[in-house]
Amino acid sequence: MSPDETAKELVLAFADDELCVGQNHSWWIAVGPFLEEDLAFSSIAQDELGHARALYSLVSNDVDRVAYGRPHSEYRSAHLAELLCHDWTMALARHVLHDLAEEIRWTALLNSSWPELKAVATRALAEEQFHIHHGVSLARRLLSSPDGYTRLAPVLSELAPLGREYFAGSDVGLVASGVLNASLADQERTWMERVEEVFDEFELSIDWGASRPSQGRAGVRSEDFLALHDEMVAVLRIDPLATW
Amino acid sequence: MNTYEVFLKKAGKEPFSHAGSLDAPDDELALAYARETYGRRSEGEQMWVVDRTAVLVGDAINLAMADRDHRHNDGHLVAELRQSDPGHAR
Repeated sequence: MSPDETAKELVLAFADDELCVGQNHSWWIAVGPFLEEDLAFSSIAQDELGHARALYSLVSNDVDRVAYGRPHSEYRSAHLAELLCHDWTMALARHVLHDLAEEIRWTALLNSSWPELKAVATRALAEEQFHIHHGVSLARRLLSSPDGYTRLAPVLSELAPLGREYFAGSDVGLVASGVLNASLADQERTWMERVEEVFDEFELSIDWGASRPSQGRAGVRSEDFLALHDEMVAVLRIDPLATW
Repeated sequence: MNTYEVFLKKAGKEPFSHAGSLDAPDDELALAYARETYGRRSEGEQMWVVDRTAVLVGDAINLAMADRDHRHNDGHLVAELRQSDPGHAR
């Protein structure tokens, strides 16, 4: 792959992560644990879809087609992003892990030599501060209570290693060309340290595993993707010409 | 959960005004929820979030001024005088 193609693949994978997480978060609209959280989480869902749209538009002139119309094997999303979280504990844990990763991924694009990508990153990172404030505050609050700890700590520890896939894929030539300001391996290390630092006082026992999962990046879809994608394209199937 | 009162101020000389209230588990989350509940369409450029228990609530004694109509200086008495006796008012 040429550096340009590698850069496009990186953007596409990032966009697919955002699309899946945005769609997944939106499942909680109107059924969040309490009204204020419902509003906040729905708003974050919308932000993530906005990030997906901005990233897709860098690699395609037909955002809807690239977002909804590809064969499943052409999606590049990490399996953690695809995970249906119909349990609030899981939804919150994935939200925190995902947004901590996002912050690092956007930061690595903040001085990108790809100007449009740099602009998207600058805008998205501003929203990310709020997402992290929200997710980390709520998670830490829950971990501070015995009941919350019993429920959330094991889920966070279980899901954390899956988040390593956010840093899978090729970055060959991207640091040299300045598209990326940090290699995927460096970003991954920063993310793992950040997760451990955020939850340091709660002594989570995270087994990061020997290797980084990468099936999703390679085109293998998780079990949950099918249901998620069906939901995404439900309107499009009824009316292929539907517009907002 | 604690209850908080949210105030927003638009740009310029507009004063802070009450946007509404919300429930949150702590101060930190109250700020996050205030933003999403009342400020996500840029309704304000400054925000105060107040724990409702910190609000001093006035009672009837504090409000017993309502019958003092001389405090309502709308000037209509003077205006009537001037109309009935233009020479005097000049």
